[in-house]
Amino acid sequence: MKLPLLAAFAAAAFLGAMPSLFAEPAPAQAAVKMPVIDFVEYDLPNGLHVILHQNKTAPVVSTYLLYHVGSKNERADRTGFAHFFEHLMFEGSENIQRGQIDKLVSAAGGNLNASTSFDRTDYHFNLPANQLGLALWIESERMLHGKVEEVGVETQRQVVKEERRLGTDNAPYGTLFENLAAAVFAGTPYQWTPIGSAQYIDQASLAEFRDFYHKYYVPNNATLVVAGDFDIEAVKKQIAAYFGPIPRGKEIERPQFELQPQTAPTEKTVALPTTPLPAAVHAWRAPAETADDAPAVELLADILGTGRSSRLHERLVRQEQAASAVDVFPYLLEKGGTLGIFATGNPGTPLEKLDKILDEEIAKVRDHGVSAEELQKVKNNKLRELASSYATMQNRARNLAHYHVMFGDTNALNHQWERYDAVTPEAIQAAAVKYLTPQGANVLHYPVVKPNPSK
Amino acid sequence: MKTLSLMLALSLASAPLGFTAPDDVDRTQPPAAGPLPAVTFPDAVTETLPNGMNVFILPTQKQPMVTFRLLLRSGEICDGTKPGLADLTASLLNKGTAELSAGEFAKKTDFLGIRVEAQAGDDATAITASGLSRDSAEILGFLRDAALHPAFQQGEVDKEKRKMIADLTQKKMEPEDLSERLRDKLLYGQHPYGASPTPETVQTITREDIVQFHEEHFLPNNASLVIVGDVQPEAVLAQVKEAFGTWKQGTVAMNYPIFSTKKGSLFPLIKGISVAVVDRPGSVQSNILVAGRGVAKNNADLPQLGVVNAVLGGGMSGRLFANLREKHGYTYGSYSGFTAKKFGGTFAATAQVRNAVTGAAVGEILAELKRIHTEPVPEKELALQRNYLIGNFLMSVENDERTAQRQQEIDLYGLPADYYKTYAAKLAALTPEKAAELAKQYIDPAHLVIVVVGEAKEIVPQLEKYGKVTVYDADLQPVSGKAAKKGQ
Repeated sequence: MKLPLLAAFAAAAFLGAMPSLFAEPAPAQAAVKMPVIDFVEYDLPNGLHVILHQNKTAPVVSTYLLYHVGSKNERADRTGFAHFFEHLMFEGSENIQRGQIDKLVSAAGGNLNASTSFDRTDYHFNLPANQLGLALWIESERMLHGKVEEVGVETQRQVVKEERRLGTDNAPYGTLFENLAAAVFAGTPYQWTPIGSAQYIDQASLAEFRDFYHKYYVPNNATLVVAGDFDIEAVKKQIAAYFGPIPRGKEIERPQFELQPQTAPTEKTVALPTTPLPAAVHAWRAPAETADDAPAVELLADILGTGRSSRLHERLVRQEQAASAVDVFPYLLEKGGTLGIFATGNPGTPLEKLDKILDEEIAKVRDHGVSAEELQKVKNNKLRELASSYATMQNRARNLAHYHVMFGDTNALNHQWERYDAVTPEAIQAAAVKYLTPQGANVLHYPVVKPNPSK
Repeated sequence: MKTLSLMLALSLASAPLGFTAPDDVDRTQPPAAGPLPAVTFPDAVTETLPNGMNVFILPTQKQPMVTFRLLLRSGEICDGTKPGLADLTASLLNKGTAELSAGEFAKKTDFLGIRVEAQAGDDATAITASGLSRDSAEILGFLRDAALHPAFQQGEVDKEKRKMIADLTQKKMEPEDLSERLRDKLLYGQHPYGASPTPETVQTITREDIVQFHEEHFLPNNASLVIVGDVQPEAVLAQVKEAFGTWKQGTVAMNYPIFSTKKGSLFPLIKGISVAVVDRPGSVQSNILVAGRGVAKNNADLPQLGVVNAVLGGGMSGRLFANLREKHGYTYGSYSGFTAKKFGGTFAATAQVRNAVTGAAVGEILAELKRIHTEPVPEKELALQRNYLIGNFLMSVENDERTAQRQQEIDLYGLPADYYKTYAAKLAALTPEKAAELAKQYIDPAHLVIVVVGEAKEIVPQLEKYGKVTVYDADLQPVSGKAAKKGQ
């Protein structure tokens, strides 16, 4: 509120001076030795893609099974279907009674979970190394003859609605991502989020679940990764025994669409009594994760918002104290993505002030680009981020599957740093000019709703 | 590391090899498994510096990273009359040092991809500095400057106070946070564990308070340092001695009430069942916490109590999950747990349920508490949960940072040195008889507080049958009746 013009001026002066702070020569840095993830991969005759990564530093094994189906495969009048189906996969199979999967895995000393995103559904188990066979048995049972019964469907309908209330309807800013997707991805199957709409869960029939299962839960749509402490040859045999007999499904029809450049900005206000602080979200369309300019977009997001010395944190939080926090999140998917900024205002901050500062900072990066030092900083941060993704077998398994399915090249995991290292300051500015356009901006406001004075 | 690789060799030898040909599998039942690999808690390189600081080093080569975590055995419990003081002190450590302004500190650390973060908990304050292991010396330097030589510049103090007040405003709308703070207020009463900062208490904190807190608590004889990552133990120990060797010992201000209480419990007596509702208008879900007295971290029963708790609500195979989620569809998840602190603890069972079934869900939770309190746990169910916890403990050894934190827990809570070495054996030794005894002693369904955050006008009528209902506002002040309100 105080002297916004002066403050804006000061900010410009500060940013102008920034390169000089980096002018001292950076100390010579030793090369970072990134771990090389060794793996073997192959297809079973039924199309199941298998990736095995052996590592014996702890007596632990993780399995990760990815089905290449997510909310973007849903019909517009069946949103939430893929995620709901994920819940049903814990019901049981021909040989596993309802409710037994959790118990079998717990009794084996392990744990499990699953998740559904826009592009994929994944299931993972972490087990002591002696129990790998259990995971393979359960996953193959679910893929061969999973069982969906009315009683389980009814229960999970209630459970999923509670999951939605917990994360979306009852949480402060819980509808943010849903509103953001609706605006940024309008006209594509990314415009609804995986949690979906409760009404459609009620409408889906048992026959639809069966169809979905036979269409997508087939070996030729799945990638199985095993990572950790096991014997490769023995596990190959186990996998062949458990998964080999599962029949191949039909070819999968993938949604065909392209995220076109947006031609007009959008604005929406979400007024809820549970909003504690005023918040503004600005979001744009961005490329798919595999696009050539995707690394530039990710590093651009880091320059704007990662770390206390980032542009937006420095200006919004430290200098002008307009915001208590600011997050910049690139969310790049298979067929397109978004780059969003989420600024939480300090109590009493007008949303217009947040908007104005964000607009100015975005214009600045479009018009003037970034310095070589700023880019070096975010590259160092990216290197740190990548270097810290190898600690657990579960992470390694997930990353191997991700590179296979999204990039079509499992070994790209071992070259991920090179994509970022090659980014130039010019590429960052080009990404800002191309994606962070005024006509492509989608603004969401979460104002603080004053309590009813008559109360 | 040596013990670890030896153990792996053993586990391999015992790996199941029963699958030689595709025809061999019997789909009708789970495959036979070999014995669980031996559980070995890794040894750290340990040294105490002459000034009293304990150092633990855990080298690991999984990734080219290193984390230094300095832990002071003083936290919010030392806030005194100014809740928020330990937190504010911690949040200012990376906001400027004797040599660098807050902005410069951020730039220099960010440039190398180094994170220096500090946080105060109830019993301790942790300062964590992490980054690429090639920058190990720089990381250690930033950690030392942040912990030992913070500037606490007035402008930064003012900024952090403002940020803390904004964060507190945000927390007033977060159901889980509200329920946990009210639980602590009711179960810990006037003890510092029951206090939480408010904008008013934060406003009263001055730079002098912070400087004094730092002087009285940031002392090497009140600290431990753990280093985990891709480091050479000898080399890093030499660096640590150089960085922290001249840090001077002092007298730690032990100003919390544990030392001044004359008799009896430190905490209020919980008698019967009472209901505390935090009114959160607009809620479409109720956050339920059924809570009672728990145990301190050094209670020798705690590991086995974990198994008893797992039967009730430790995970997806617990009774609460089976009942409230899988049988009734009331919730996405229902769990229970013991939260143990240095001088006491709480027990709580939780669920988040839609408004209409709030009363029914509380009823099911109470019934499960009663059942485990009165009925013996069948051996089969107990064995499942023993195995669950032993297996997951074994797997947690994969997480080096977790191992490092456990080393510091031993130091912080004064646990026996072999606490985690014998942990799995303790779990394995739990018999049904002992489990029944523990459940009877520690899970008391007759003396509880039921905390529910939600839409009061819809849920209060459902809750009155369980006990006297008091409604609170988002500041956790009672609002039932005008007298209560005027009394503020």
